[in-house]
Amino acid sequence: MAPLVFMKEIRKVYPEGTVALRGASFELLEGEVHALLGENGAGKTTLMKILYGELRPTSGEIYFRGERVSFRSPQEAMRRGIAMVHQSFALVPTFTVLENLYLAISSVRKVSQGEVRSRAAELGKELGIEVPLNARVEQLPAGMRQRAEILKALLLEAKVIILDEPTSLLTPFEAEALIALIRRLRAKGVSFVYVTHKLREVKEVADRVTVLRKGLNVGTLQARETSEAEMAKLMVGAAVERAKRRPPREVGEVVLEVEGLVARDEMGVERLRGVSFSVRAGEIVGIAGVQGSGQRELAEAIAGLRRPERGSIRVRGVEIAGKPPREARRLGVLYVPELREEGLALEMNIVENSILARQRGHARGPLVDWGSAEERARGLVERFKVVFGSLWDRAAALSGGNQQRLMVGRELSSRGALLIAHEPTQGLDVTSAEMVREEILRLRDEGMAVLLISSDLDEVLELSDRVIVLFEGRSVGELRGEEASIEKVGRLMGGAA
Amino acid sequence: MIAALSEVALALAAALAFSSLLLLALGYDAASSLLTMFSYGFGNPEYLAAVAAPLVLSALAFLIPFKAGMFNIGGEGQAYLGALLFLYASQGLGALGIAAGALAGALLGGLVGALRAFLGVNEVIASIMINWTLFYVTLFSVSKYLTHPEYPHRSIDVGFSLGAPYSLLLAALAALAAYALLYRTLLGYEIRVVGSSPRAAAYAGIDARRAAVISMAIGGLFGGLAGTLKVMYVGHIDATMSALFGVGFLGIGVALIGRANPLGSVASALLLAGMIIGGHWMELRLGTPPELTDVIVGTTVLVLSAPYALKLLLKGGGLGGG
Repeated sequence: MAPLVFMKEIRKVYPEGTVALRGASFELLEGEVHALLGENGAGKTTLMKILYGELRPTSGEIYFRGERVSFRSPQEAMRRGIAMVHQSFALVPTFTVLENLYLAISSVRKVSQGEVRSRAAELGKELGIEVPLNARVEQLPAGMRQRAEILKALLLEAKVIILDEPTSLLTPFEAEALIALIRRLRAKGVSFVYVTHKLREVKEVADRVTVLRKGLNVGTLQARETSEAEMAKLMVGAAVERAKRRPPREVGEVVLEVEGLVARDEMGVERLRGVSFSVRAGEIVGIAGVQGSGQRELAEAIAGLRRPERGSIRVRGVEIAGKPPREARRLGVLYVPELREEGLALEMNIVENSILARQRGHARGPLVDWGSAEERARGLVERFKVVFGSLWDRAAALSGGNQQRLMVGRELSSRGALLIAHEPTQGLDVTSAEMVREEILRLRDEGMAVLLISSDLDEVLELSDRVIVLFEGRSVGELRGEEASIEKVGRLMGGAA
Repeated sequence: MIAALSEVALALAAALAFSSLLLLALGYDAASSLLTMFSYGFGNPEYLAAVAAPLVLSALAFLIPFKAGMFNIGGEGQAYLGALLFLYASQGLGALGIAAGALAGALLGGLVGALRAFLGVNEVIASIMINWTLFYVTLFSVSKYLTHPEYPHRSIDVGFSLGAPYSLLLAALAALAAYALLYRTLLGYEIRVVGSSPRAAAYAGIDARRAAVISMAIGGLFGGLAGTLKVMYVGHIDATMSALFGVGFLGIGVALIGRANPLGSVASALLLAGMIIGGHWMELRLGTPPELTDVIVGTTVLVLSAPYALKLLLKGGGLGGG
């Protein structure tokens, strides 16, 4: 049987010179769920955007049902039955689900809203896709939005649905429901490309798996016959030792005490609704929760970057709620923010970024002591393996992973009492992520209090001595590290009692 | 560095090519026009220094707030105010009048900075309005209170003058000071972080409002000095404001050609001053209209500053993908 889709030796060089794909090939059979596995930056999303007509390859050939094709736009791909559900959904938030479906379908063929409504209801019932057609998208949880996207693809009579990191915004429950839906649709003859970097999901959902590494496919395996270890090895190129949670040596006094914290986001939505907890010296407290459960507001409030509405934040006994960030810094708060453009001044050079937020420690009177700043920068890039051209290059010229290493390294190599690490390993390859985790454990062992906020549940469970689960701005559970399992935490993340 | 220089050379060539076409189209001898402009323009070092010095300062007036992420289009008004205050204060205080001119500019800049920082008033709009207000305040003062007893079309003479070479020296020292401020001091570092990314500044515990007020005040100080040096060389303020008008605006172009670098501004001020002087010679020798000089200088400013300005506009813009 000829493959449904065959992509042959696809190369993609971005205009600014980044090589995303170096001749990757990919094959999708009719009626299979094919996982595309790889680390961040391996080229998975780029390869699929090319199939979907969103990007054009620099070279290479694409065959659909044995016929050579070259899509110039997603509309062209959709007409042939290829649809893609992006990581951040492509729905208009202020429109209803129906309006969104109509918008997408009418851009491909002539149709009335009434037809879309009846067809959507019919399909939904047939396949068990429950989506409230008249609800506005912004009011729907992530899982529901994703189902709306899949419904959209099916209304377009998609034969191939590309799912890009589909579980990244979902609770474990929603993820389970998604996998069940994929199985039902496969039985109806729909093929899936399932883009992910999570090994566990591959085993659960896929028939076959193709592993990408640095823009090349390094192997295609039968998902049932392979092991997570084998896939990990292919993905990384070498076996990686995972950091093992180890019990703290000695837990000291309370360093951070948060009580009844209430805070709003930029839009005025109450994101934290009365959270209380404490972190002691020498322990790691992990915050788990679906994205948007108040994690960012929590981190920013402690760092002094967000004025809480109510509640108190005490660092080493000193009240800092609503005080400027300087105050938190003075008390020894180190902060790895979620966004790199916040923790780095990207237009400034590596040396200048190495002293960001501790510039006063590198001053002699009114002058900056550039000698000591440069020394710090050199130490940093060496220890955290930042790959760079010159120390006087702008941070913007570094790749995302190197920016992350620079920012995390700066915070982790500083003296302090409390570390707030928000997504500390995002964008890092497996090896550097492990290094960062190891450094966090080392700081804890040296007596630092650590608040770890991460959407990577494995990371939270691996490192934390205690886990606090946030759900809709409230702490819905606190577990000791050894009793926190994926199942337990996952249930709490989804709001189950 | 080499890339930057070749970019400037290419831009200059493009500006000259356009100017030549324009001259030819209007029936002038392009080759001898431009030759006149560039040979006579740079033939008198003292006059060159006198024209360039205020431009260096008005470039700094733009540049310091620019590094803090603000657009000081108020160098013009700061120059008027500086010139007026210097003219008045130098009558009794002599050289100390320079301090008066600089201080007046600093207060005005600081005021605009404070309006922006504490009340969210856009500094560009506020400055444009203040520019025109001060234009007429200066005109009014010159024709009502400071009028020359014998020549009613102009003000009394300044009470002190540095002379052209020292003016340029002062401007060069100001550029060095601005450079040291931006790249050697903690304050300069903080100003640049604010300009590079307000979010990173907040993260680093830097008070963005303080940076706004201080950088605008320092910019205003240089703007006031620019007006001071201009009126000092001319000797008085004319009732048509012809000498003062445009000193502040041209500084923006000078700063952008100098790639927003204080030392680069000295070089670009000298280049533009030479072209302005050469333009006058062109008018005398070949009878070209003064507007043509303005067009040629304007084109050069535009083309020379365009690559840098474009880069600033595009930075952070979403080019390419993940």
